[in-house]
Amino acid sequence: MKDRIGTLKRVENTKGWLLSSPYWIFAGIFFGYPFVWLVILAFSKWNFISSPNFIWFNNFLKLIKDPMFWTVTWNTVRFMIYFLPMILAFSILLAIAFQKAKYFRTFFAMSFLIANVSSGVAYSLLFNQLFSANGPLNSFLYDNFGISIPWFTDPNWAMFSIALMVTWKFLGYYALIFLSGLQMIPRELYEAAEIDGANNWTKFWKITLPLLNPSMVMVLVLAIGLSFGIFTEPFLITGGGPLNSTQTFMMVVYTDAFEKFEGGYAATMSIAAALISFGFIILVRKLMERKVDFS
Amino acid sequence: MSKNNRITKNIKSAIFYAIMFALSLLWLYPYIWLFLSSFKPWDQIFTNFIPTYFTSKSYSFILSTADQLGFPFLLGLFNSIFISVTVTISVIITSAIVGYAVAKIKFNGANTLFNFVIYQMLFPGFMFTIPLYVTVKTLGFLDTYAAMIVPSLMGAWGVFMFAQSFKSIPNDYIEAAKIDGANVFWIVFRVMMPLNRATASIVGIFTFIGIWDNFMWPLIVIQSHNKMPLSVLLATFSQSYGVYVGPILAGAVIQTIPMVLIFIIFRKNFLQGISMAFK
Repeated sequence: MKDRIGTLKRVENTKGWLLSSPYWIFAGIFFGYPFVWLVILAFSKWNFISSPNFIWFNNFLKLIKDPMFWTVTWNTVRFMIYFLPMILAFSILLAIAFQKAKYFRTFFAMSFLIANVSSGVAYSLLFNQLFSANGPLNSFLYDNFGISIPWFTDPNWAMFSIALMVTWKFLGYYALIFLSGLQMIPRELYEAAEIDGANNWTKFWKITLPLLNPSMVMVLVLAIGLSFGIFTEPFLITGGGPLNSTQTFMMVVYTDAFEKFEGGYAATMSIAAALISFGFIILVRKLMERKVDFS
Repeated sequence: MSKNNRITKNIKSAIFYAIMFALSLLWLYPYIWLFLSSFKPWDQIFTNFIPTYFTSKSYSFILSTADQLGFPFLLGLFNSIFISVTVTISVIITSAIVGYAVAKIKFNGANTLFNFVIYQMLFPGFMFTIPLYVTVKTLGFLDTYAAMIVPSLMGAWGVFMFAQSFKSIPNDYIEAAKIDGANVFWIVFRVMMPLNRATASIVGIFTFIGIWDNFMWPLIVIQSHNKMPLSVLLATFSQSYGVYVGPILAGAVIQTIPMVLIFIIFRKNFLQGISMAFK
């Protein structure tokens, strides 16, 4: 009997390894091998053709001295200053509205969520036209208020306009995350607060918002990750301009690698972007994350 | 409740629904404008919201004139469909098998594999763009379909989703199937898969949209116009023929429609998936 269990165990073991071996091999080629190259590239100067030249920490020194690195860092921070408060406030409000809506709830959710499946290229080209100098948005503003806004042509506006586009795309998605957070808050809490004479305002600040903390942290982590990966919008609409005001990390990685052929430096730049985004995510977790107990 | 109170309540709810409908329309407006504009005569794109007449000139330009200019959009559509469908099918199949090994087979690598998958998901994808380019170049995949397909054939996220979902299925189902003499693949695809349809469709939908929407990667690895997916072909076209706004918008419609259709068909799974992925 003991022998049989031993054989069974061995059979299960072999089965497990056999079934998972394609994944290990695949991950070795498309995760492990690139990972090794990422480390090599970070310490090398390389144009993708000759053999990589080992240069110690020079890529990182170059990075610190590179004005473009500081420009894109600042641009990304600026993007987050526009994007994070806007998307957080609006998606929480929208989630509350979703919850309030007794009728047409699916229709409302669909209308906001369908923006999320728009392809990056198509929606960039579309917003480029919507926001253009004589586009529908500006003619509306001009006809009604006598103003027109240089959405993508003014260095002070361009990044904000991109933040608006991204908000359009992600609002419905994040609102649904908040909606599932709202639905986990027990009704009794609100009923108890009503007995104590709390008004809607107090209920929102004392119950809803604190108990939404897990969803809030999750949305912020997602939104920060997204901010560091932005590429399609500036690449297609502004080309990084005007005056480099919409250059992003991925734009610079792309130009450094495939127009200036500095593979090592571009890889270092992408590592820096990842590290800075981790830094922001850790910061958000430290500052915001609370243990939430629903009972 | 007094009559007055009820009237105020009704007015309040009417205002609420009016605002919600207005906002929904505002959010749909870019799509509506895009769709209408792709059928407008070119001189009315920016002047009329509803044109005086509709025309398919933009579509015939993007599908035939652009073809003669070296931008084969029908082929691009085929490329996009081919790449996205291949990757999606492969990801569902491989994720289910590997996820099953992680969740239901007691072997001494199960935990390591699960931790490794989580470890992989920690890294943002953009960090690997350059070294992955080196990998694909080493394999000789540059400017071929393989460059767009092979690196995405399996994925950590899919394995994670299937493993999590399989873990909640009682072992009795598997034991029963084993007694009937079913082999592993039968169990995965005939027993586990039907019980986890929601997971399968979420992994499928998100994978499909991710590949269809991908822009930076095919932009880097593909040079020939006849191998480009729609996203890159449309972007390249708009950079050389930016003045042809109508055809560009028609191309944007062609690129958006499959995703919108998938979204509408699978809307239930989509909504379910968002709440499931974040629990």
